[in-house]
Amino acid sequence: MQEVSAISGNSVPADEPKLNYINNGHTLKSWLLTKDHKRIALMYLVSVSAFFLMGGIYAGFIRLELLTPASDLLETATYNKVFTQHGILMVFFFLIPAIPAILGNFLLPLMIGAKDLALPRINLLSLYIYWIGGIITLWALMQGGVDTGWTFYTPYSTTFSNSYVMAVGIGVFINGFSSILTGLNFIVSIHTMRAPGMTWFRLPLFVWAHYATSLVMILGTPVVAITILLVAIERFARIGIFDPAIGGDPILFQHLFWFYSHPAVYIMILPGMGVISEVIAGFSRKRIFGYEFVAFSSIAIAVFGFLVWGHHMFVSGQSIFAGLVFSFLSMVVAVPSAIKTFNWTATMYKGSISYDTPMLYAIGFLGLFLIGGLTGLFLGSVGLTVHLTDTYFVVAHFHYVMVGGQVIAYLAGIHYWWPKMTGRMYSEFWGKISAMLIFVGFNLTFFPQFILGYMGMPRRYASYPEELQVLNIFSTAGASVLGFGLVMPVVYLIHSLFYGKKAADNPWMHPGLEWRTSSPPPTENFKEMPVVTWEAYDFGEESGLDLEDARKREAVTI
Amino acid sequence: MTAHGDTHEHHEPGLQHQFEDMHQQEESVSIGMWAFLAQEIMFFGGLFTAYLVFRWRFPMAFAAGSNHLDEFMGGLNTLVLIVSSLTMALTVYYAQKGNRTLQVVMIVLTMLFGATFLGVKAIEYTDKYNHGLVPVTGWNKKVKEDVSAPHVTEQDCTQVGHGDGDDHYVNPKGEFQWKDCSLVKLAQDHNYLTEDEKIGYFTNGEIDANKFRDKVRLFYYIYFVMTGLHALHMIIGLGVMLWLLWKAWIGTFGPKYYAPVEISGLYWHFVDIVWIFLFPLLYLLGRHFLH
Ligand SMILES: [Cu+2]
Repeated sequence: MQEVSAISGNSVPADEPKLNYINNGHTLKSWLLTKDHKRIALMYLVSVSAFFLMGGIYAGFIRLELLTPASDLLETATYNKVFTQHGILMVFFFLIPAIPAILGNFLLPLMIGAKDLALPRINLLSLYIYWIGGIITLWALMQGGVDTGWTFYTPYSTTFSNSYVMAVGIGVFINGFSSILTGLNFIVSIHTMRAPGMTWFRLPLFVWAHYATSLVMILGTPVVAITILLVAIERFARIGIFDPAIGGDPILFQHLFWFYSHPAVYIMILPGMGVISEVIAGFSRKRIFGYEFVAFSSIAIAVFGFLVWGHHMFVSGQSIFAGLVFSFLSMVVAVPSAIKTFNWTATMYKGSISYDTPMLYAIGFLGLFLIGGLTGLFLGSVGLTVHLTDTYFVVAHFHYVMVGGQVIAYLAGIHYWWPKMTGRMYSEFWGKISAMLIFVGFNLTFFPQFILGYMGMPRRYASYPEELQVLNIFSTAGASVLGFGLVMPVVYLIHSLFYGKKAADNPWMHPGLEWRTSSPPPTENFKEMPVVTWEAYDFGEESGLDLEDARKREAVTI
Repeated sequence: MTAHGDTHEHHEPGLQHQFEDMHQQEESVSIGMWAFLAQEIMFFGGLFTAYLVFRWRFPMAFAAGSNHLDEFMGGLNTLVLIVSSLTMALTVYYAQKGNRTLQVVMIVLTMLFGATFLGVKAIEYTDKYNHGLVPVTGWNKKVKEDVSAPHVTEQDCTQVGHGDGDDHYVNPKGEFQWKDCSLVKLAQDHNYLTEDEKIGYFTNGEIDANKFRDKVRLFYYIYFVMTGLHALHMIIGLGVMLWLLWKAWIGTFGPKYYAPVEISGLYWHFVDIVWIFLFPLLYLLGRHFLH
């Protein structure tokens, strides 16, 4: 710690504690009524982590139940609730807000050189809406929960399910507006709050990814909101448009639901892709390969993502023709993701790569996302999917994208920007260990599920034939490793808050604007309005980085 | 690209801390409002989709339901909203001119028209409540059977005419009531029925009054959800106008600062436009089947 402050004495004065966004006001009110995007991001971090923990506990119960072929740990009805609640908490309260509301909120204004998001009060409102939606959902879960699956399929959810569908629906409905407001804020901010010289094509790809995400949030979320509202009304009023007994149409629900929920998987992966672009370019110390392609592939994903929802309904009786069109479009939407993957790999080629913790996560992401994406093509082809629909193959596929993709990217991002967010360095050693444990544990958990699914094990059942037990034991064993790996960062990151080395303003020596203010940043983000004169990911002298200083620092910190 | 000036020492009235100048602030709130309206379009879009799907499937039931809406009331409300859009636009105009008095007058007028709209809507809803047209069981006026009245024999539903049976209306449980399926007969005779209708209105080849009632009930369900959500937007709009009225009263707005009036106006116009779509879809389409 002394060494660091000795070298970077100009940026981190040891004597007087600088006023930053964390120590600028200590009262509870100064947090709850803050308009500072960084404080809101931190409160999101705590709340989202709490939901992640709960969702994770449910996941643990699922894996424990599936350790043996019989349904012995949980009753089947309880099991239905457990996997439903795992899905609802993870999707709506963790995956969707995780990167945008935490990292996006914190970093977007810093990256574009703004004092705050354009609409700070709306930003705070989105947090409160998230809390209200979350509390209603939690209340419903404590009352007895839901058993419909996170997809709320009708007519089971509207007519037959004997659980708290309405309350959970209302919670999810309300929560949707938190994500709408976040997206709205990002779009406005990216349009109007960029610092002088920060042109569209100098924006970090993280910002482009968030722009695309915000488009989906604004255009998709309201559709699922109204749909879930209709389900809630239908349950409450005992009349509605999804009940086939009176001429309603349960398939209409699936159309409306997936019109949002397919694009929503891009809400859950695009921000992760943004993080990966930053980390890979940064730790390869190389301008990202094909910047424009990566930027526009995000927009392409957001646009084409709205045209492929029918691939969730290949077996629900939609016409063969519709099936073929949706299948074709699903192949098309894979192209922009492939472009990104190629470009990340090409960025690493001949880069000067350093394997810090964030980079380890990012490399893990490349492999896992590749598997997740390619198995998506299996499921997108009309013929093959008939065999695979509603099996563990699907479960494995979306966990490779959602966990292998988004959660890993989220962890990469948290580790990458932790020094900026908290002003502390975590232990590299434990960081690397946990990154590797998570990678191993994840694969051990979910790879067997591809095989299980291909062998025909259906999802959402508490019991299964005995010959499938060995692979299920692998999966549960992997889940324990994964769970352990996920708890480790919580421990060493919290530890770092109190005992970690003080972080320099730019510990990785990266050129982005967020690294050109102090760690943690002051409330107004920059002492004076930054003027951008360099291109994005410019690791050369023109970016104004002192490379000599960078080398010296590397010698000390490693 | 927004041009940033140097950091202002003196703050312009209404300039928030995160912005450099008024231009940037106005641009931000205006883009924000447009993005919000895009969100609203998708929100109502889900409902319009549902409407279209079922109108396509059961045109006769929808026409029948449509015929029981009061087109005079609907038309009156359309007029009221269009005029309120005018007064709203004038509010923005006078705010830009800095004319406090006329600003306040126009806001009050807009609110009056908004309240009128809601009043007319309330009258319509009450009418539906009295006639057993609310699709939720128990939410209609409960009318006990009058034992002393002469017993009326059940009519064939194709014979029930428009407005028949009002004098011996009975609805003890407050259920949705629909007796008239003359339209189905008409469409059957002219070979108008869609494939869905041939299944949806019939039991063993006979017109089934209950099955037809359920389809009309779907229409009323969609009617109440759509107009209800629209009315909710109107109520929120009135709240916004109240806030605007107070701000205008204390003379906040002028040529330099009128963005809140402008974006409130955008919202108000949007809610009007939604009604401009709702009115023909719910009240007018299919009326010609009876007239
Ligand atoms: Cu999909």
